[in-house]
Amino acid sequence: MERENRFWRVVLLFLPLSVFAVFVVWPLFSSFWYSFTDWNGFNPDYAFVGLDNYARIWTDRLFYGAIINTAMWMVAAIVLPTLLGLALALLLDRQIRGARIFKTIFYLPICLSAIVVGQIWTWIYQPDWGLLNAIISFVAGEPFTHAWLARPGSALWSVIVAWSWQQTGLSMVIYLAGLTAIPSDLLEVCDIEGATPWQRIRRVVVPLLIPSTIVVIALSVINSLKGFDILYIMTGGGPFHSSDTLAMHMYNESFKKYLMGYGSAISVVLFLIALVIIGFYFRQLKRIDEIYG
Amino acid sequence: MRSMAERQAFPLTPWTAALIAMLIMLAVLFLTPTVGVLLSSIKTTRAIALGDLWSIPGELFLGNYAEVLSNPAVHRYFVNTVIVTVPATAASTALGVLAGYVFAKLPFRGASILFLAIVAGMFFPPQVILVPLFRLFNGVGLIDTLWPIFLVHTALGIPICTLLMRNFFATVPNALREAAILEGASEWQVLTRVAIPLALPALAVLATLQFTWIWNDFLWPLIFTQSDEKRTIMIGIVNLKGQYTVAWGVQGALSLIASLPTLVIFLFFQRYFIKGMTMGAVKG
Repeated sequence: MERENRFWRVVLLFLPLSVFAVFVVWPLFSSFWYSFTDWNGFNPDYAFVGLDNYARIWTDRLFYGAIINTAMWMVAAIVLPTLLGLALALLLDRQIRGARIFKTIFYLPICLSAIVVGQIWTWIYQPDWGLLNAIISFVAGEPFTHAWLARPGSALWSVIVAWSWQQTGLSMVIYLAGLTAIPSDLLEVCDIEGATPWQRIRRVVVPLLIPSTIVVIALSVINSLKGFDILYIMTGGGPFHSSDTLAMHMYNESFKKYLMGYGSAISVVLFLIALVIIGFYFRQLKRIDEIYG
Repeated sequence: MRSMAERQAFPLTPWTAALIAMLIMLAVLFLTPTVGVLLSSIKTTRAIALGDLWSIPGELFLGNYAEVLSNPAVHRYFVNTVIVTVPATAASTALGVLAGYVFAKLPFRGASILFLAIVAGMFFPPQVILVPLFRLFNGVGLIDTLWPIFLVHTALGIPICTLLMRNFFATVPNALREAAILEGASEWQVLTRVAIPLALPALAVLATLQFTWIWNDFLWPLIFTQSDEKRTIMIGIVNLKGQYTVAWGVQGALSLIASLPTLVIFLFFQRYFIKGMTMGAVKG
């Protein structure tokens, strides 16, 4: 019996594991290797340059800018989709007529591609006829033509807002799933004890949503680390690299400047940051599992 | 646990009225961008440039759609995207079924560590494997074909597919498998005749998720293809942006057409889609 099980394990796992190993695991480790070389993307040959690429990171001003932008993106990712998603979930977690339609509306952006989302929001920020400037002009009573995506001061934040618009639905759904797990007796006790709706939310519901919050924040942070497609179409990392993220910087160095060795070094840094966040996330998930089963 | 139906219906108080008003406002805010593209696609470029994008048009202008649909490049982009998306969705789901079944029904020493390592794969930014994959496919002469996109999407789909299938197969009672094996069925027969027929809803979840992600992907076709003949639709949007620089209406129509397959899947399989998204996120 056990011999047969062993046979089937090998047979069934062979294909998935080898595909995963060849196209995901092996490239991951090769990235470390190439980060010590000067491969340029064309020549089959490359030289081993030791720690040169890592030394270069220390002096690369664009790299610092990208790190800071990625960090800002992460902070915004924690605040915007999380808070908005929580608010929407709390508003929708009751029997309101049409709750399902509302959920569909808030969730819809997640099925659009980052490219289409970027395209849509490029128009909202369009200086001459974009909706944002139109509203500001209307409120201010005078023409307003700020080029949101073309100014270093506002480019990154404009993209982050567009990105949050897409991410909020995901946070909302995770919070809604968390809300259904709150026992209704607990909420009835609140009513009997005469708690106001606000007290009920602040003192009972939100504390019980901490596991969902961990999931939402971790996911938002991880997704913010991937920020690339939407930046590519909206700003391309510009103007003057003011909206570069690590993912964008890595792409530029590798595939625009053909410094594949240096790009690999950046990707190693990206990998290490992701590893820390994912490790933290998995530990928290385990703890959530232990507490809540 | 409580279900929606058990909850008290709210009487219409000022508090609920305010809530509903707030929801409607937020919904309008959320819908505005999408409605904007829709409006742009049925207006002439002239009307948009004159600042008339955000009004409801008196008449339907379909010239933008005609322009997009008669462009042979758009046809090519679509065909390429289908050629990549459909097989990669099927392949990644199939591989996830195989691996998920073993992790759920044939556990072994070290299985949980291996499982965790595979699942972790879905959280890493794709940039961390970009350069070696480019070199690999360049070396074997597959750059500027659709093969690398198909292969990489199949491989990158394995984590989520394995995760969801393992979680699903774990809910299938072991007694079913044991009974079938006592009857003389092989493991393969248990998988194909017993487990997979039961797993159809889970397969629907995976297929909708994978299809959407692969269809919408931008990075891999950007890296692996160069000639316009091999580009997929999302790259096509960016490329045609140059061709139709100020033809905003055409761009809007193209964006909508490109989103149509995933929009239709989302609207019809919403329940599956959302279930997959939350399971993938929470049940790591």
